[in-house]
Amino acid sequence: MSTSIDRPSAGPASTEVAAEGRADGRVDAEGAGRRGDWWVIAPVLLILLWLVLYPNLFVLLASVTERGHATLEAWRRFFGSPAELGALWASVWISAASVVLSALIGVPLAFLFARRDFPGRRLLGGLAAMPVLLPPLVGTISFLFLYGETGFLTRGVQTVLGMTEAPWRLAGPWAVLLVHAYTMYVYFYLFAAAGLSRLDGGYAEAAAALGAGWWTTLRRVTLPMLGPALGGASLLVFMTSMASFSAPYVFGGGFRVLTTQIYASKLNGEEGLVAVEAVVLAVTSLLFLAGLRRIEGSREYTGASKGLGPAPRTQARRGWVLTAVAALFTGFLLLPHLTVLLVSFVPEGTWTTQILPPVYSASGYRALFTDPERLVPVLNSLRMATAATLANVAFAFAAGYLLARRRFRGKGAVAALVALPWALPGTVLAVALATTFSVHRPLAGRFVWVGTFAILPIAYFIRNVPLVTNAALASFRQLDPALEEAAAALGAGRFTALRRVVLPLVLPGLAAGALLAWVTALGEFVASILLYTHRTRPLSVEMLSDLRAYDFGGAAVYGVLLIVLVAAAFALGYRRVGEG
Amino acid sequence: MRTARPRTLAVPALLALLAACGGGDGRQVLTVYSPHGRDMLKAFEAAYERANPGVDLQFVDMGSQEILDRLRSEKANPQADVWFGAPAYTFAQGAADSLLERFVPTWATAVPAEARDPAGYWHGTYLTPEVIAYNSKRVTGAQVPADWDDVLDPRWKGKVLIRDPMASGTMRTIFGMAVLRSLRQTGDTAQGWRWLRRLDGQTKEYVLNPTLLYQKLAREEGLVTLWDLPDLEELRSHTDLPIAYVLPRSGTPVLVDAIGVVKGAQHPELARAFVEWAGSAPQVTAAARTSFRLPARTDVPDSALPEPLRRAKQALKAEPMDWRRFEKESPGWMRYWDTNVRGRR
Repeated sequence: MSTSIDRPSAGPASTEVAAEGRADGRVDAEGAGRRGDWWVIAPVLLILLWLVLYPNLFVLLASVTERGHATLEAWRRFFGSPAELGALWASVWISAASVVLSALIGVPLAFLFARRDFPGRRLLGGLAAMPVLLPPLVGTISFLFLYGETGFLTRGVQTVLGMTEAPWRLAGPWAVLLVHAYTMYVYFYLFAAAGLSRLDGGYAEAAAALGAGWWTTLRRVTLPMLGPALGGASLLVFMTSMASFSAPYVFGGGFRVLTTQIYASKLNGEEGLVAVEAVVLAVTSLLFLAGLRRIEGSREYTGASKGLGPAPRTQARRGWVLTAVAALFTGFLLLPHLTVLLVSFVPEGTWTTQILPPVYSASGYRALFTDPERLVPVLNSLRMATAATLANVAFAFAAGYLLARRRFRGKGAVAALVALPWALPGTVLAVALATTFSVHRPLAGRFVWVGTFAILPIAYFIRNVPLVTNAALASFRQLDPALEEAAAALGAGRFTALRRVVLPLVLPGLAAGALLAWVTALGEFVASILLYTHRTRPLSVEMLSDLRAYDFGGAAVYGVLLIVLVAAAFALGYRRVGEG
Repeated sequence: MRTARPRTLAVPALLALLAACGGGDGRQVLTVYSPHGRDMLKAFEAAYERANPGVDLQFVDMGSQEILDRLRSEKANPQADVWFGAPAYTFAQGAADSLLERFVPTWATAVPAEARDPAGYWHGTYLTPEVIAYNSKRVTGAQVPADWDDVLDPRWKGKVLIRDPMASGTMRTIFGMAVLRSLRQTGDTAQGWRWLRRLDGQTKEYVLNPTLLYQKLAREEGLVTLWDLPDLEELRSHTDLPIAYVLPRSGTPVLVDAIGVVKGAQHPELARAFVEWAGSAPQVTAAARTSFRLPARTDVPDSALPEPLRRAKQALKAEPMDWRRFEKESPGWMRYWDTNVRGRR
């Protein structure tokens, strides 16, 4: 694993979404819309309106109609029901609490790895980012095996302490919060680490020279400078929590949030209510986004760089203490991965009441290569995730270029549309796509995609538009426009400058975004489960099918495969991209 | 500063291209949505493809309620040819939403009238009795709950596991039985809701899916649950989990599990042929032998059934259910349960 955290070009670039609305500080870099720009603006706008906005309008429409008649009945039911309002409130507070808790874990961890040096720092720092590699379904199941009432750790603690009952029950809002913090602190960790490594060490030195203690420096200089990174992470965690389904569904007990309400209403066949719940969820997320932007916009902490590097890491005096602490913590964070690995060696139906599985065999892995049916979902996922990611890269390059370099009317709207898929949970997107693209009306921009190979890559593409676009946007922002001017002055045409100068410089950030997108698409479950067909069934769906057949081992084999694929992509990507 | 070469992206692109090759062997594809479980479906697939070499039978494995939901969203462009498996009332909802095509197989007359749709949209293949299941290591002898009300015994407080009823046809049926009994005995639903409230008070946890339900029951996270006979028999036949069941004394709902042709199917001919085949006497018998599905046909002799099914047939007392009313009101009842009963102890 070389997911080392001290490479600013990687991942965290996407923080910039929150900063999008603010004055750029380099307004002169933005050319006013040149007449020749339509060939970039038009396709970007078309894709945003057609694939991002249009399907969601059908959801909005469904919330105010029933069997073709306009009615506000579903809205009345939503706002008249204490259960629904309770779910809305629960979604909001769980998400807010997830942000706080994730920050409390992720930010100190980032400081530890970015500011202190101790033996094993690079390896442990990379491993601490591992939860990003745990696809949602895999994570949830491994949590159950680990911390559930009869999980390894629970039974272990129970035995060691000689208790008759399980020491805890992984159920209710606290369990949901725990799972969220466990899986989402990574955003804070990665973003803060990248922010720290970009931070000019000169400021802290200046503060110290002016007599500020470390606390004052942290409070008045370092944290404010990390503002955009932390804002971006907060946004990501809040949105992810709002849209989180598996954790509240599996661990929530009777605890209701909007996503579980949507699922229940859908299974109950109440389409109007599903639409209302979806709209409420999306609007809440968008309000958070708007609020965050407002806060960001009112505070500006950028300073000219003095050309100093980031503050040097202090060599800790008792380095091994830090190593031990970091190793312990990282080990704890990796337990779910180890659980998946262990379970993958359990043959079907052998593991029943024992604490540890009684029989181990590699038959699950062998089946992967001997039974062609087992390999199909792997190839499907690889194929669909790759297709979607390639489209994401092309789109992000164009949209990032527009948003960073050009001024045109409606730019704010374009930025909002780019962020929109974040505010929409996968279930809602799937429903919207299934509604919109199940009829053939070319003039209305509607084609039959449901049931074809195209629909899943399209869903993945839409879900990842914000991620990749903002990664590209951040790269464009860091790129000095003078380079393009120099190219132009040296006689390069626009296209040549783009190809020979801009593209190579933007590529690292773009590739980092693409990597994250590819990883997300590879393990995507929530939208896939509603849109797949037998021929296009992805990994995550096949995993669920294994679970249904009581084949925990088979599901875990796919889980391990996913983790390995993703880790390999990261290692390869980071090595390549980080060569600079 | 060296920068990444575009070749970085060429690698996945190449992979995609490689992966895109292959597939498509010229056979006609028959798509069947079914909740019957992978083991049974694999056996069906093998048998059918042996008999029909020109057909590639593809099962999409999902829950019965999910199938209805899926068919609704695919209505304008149906992807499935056959809907194989779900309680009859779910099929009735599907027929009411015009998701099904009328087709009367030749074996229709071998099935009793109450196990098929008079309009011919669906026909029963199997009968599914609901049962009370328990951990057979911890619950033995006289402790075993013999009837629905026994589950409310204080002894089982906090020891009852229930599969998430919103997603489960089995649980919806059992809950519906409580409400229907109340209507039959008292004329209104109050007594039924009281019963369900007490059951909720006993319940330790609502479980995500059947597999986790079995797992939790076997590991003694709970000791008693409500489930159905064929699934438990199938489980017992291929694992050694300590799980047993009883048929409730006062009577139990017997679901009719049906099959039907999807409206607008891409291969209507093949779909009809598959329905004809799946409900044929040999195939129904095979399902009984390997997967413990109780035949809906009345012409399968008991001697052809495996021992557990023969025993069950003798012990079974069918609950008289007003399926029509259940079909109409069940969504409303479930909504009421979810809002006003669940967790309101």
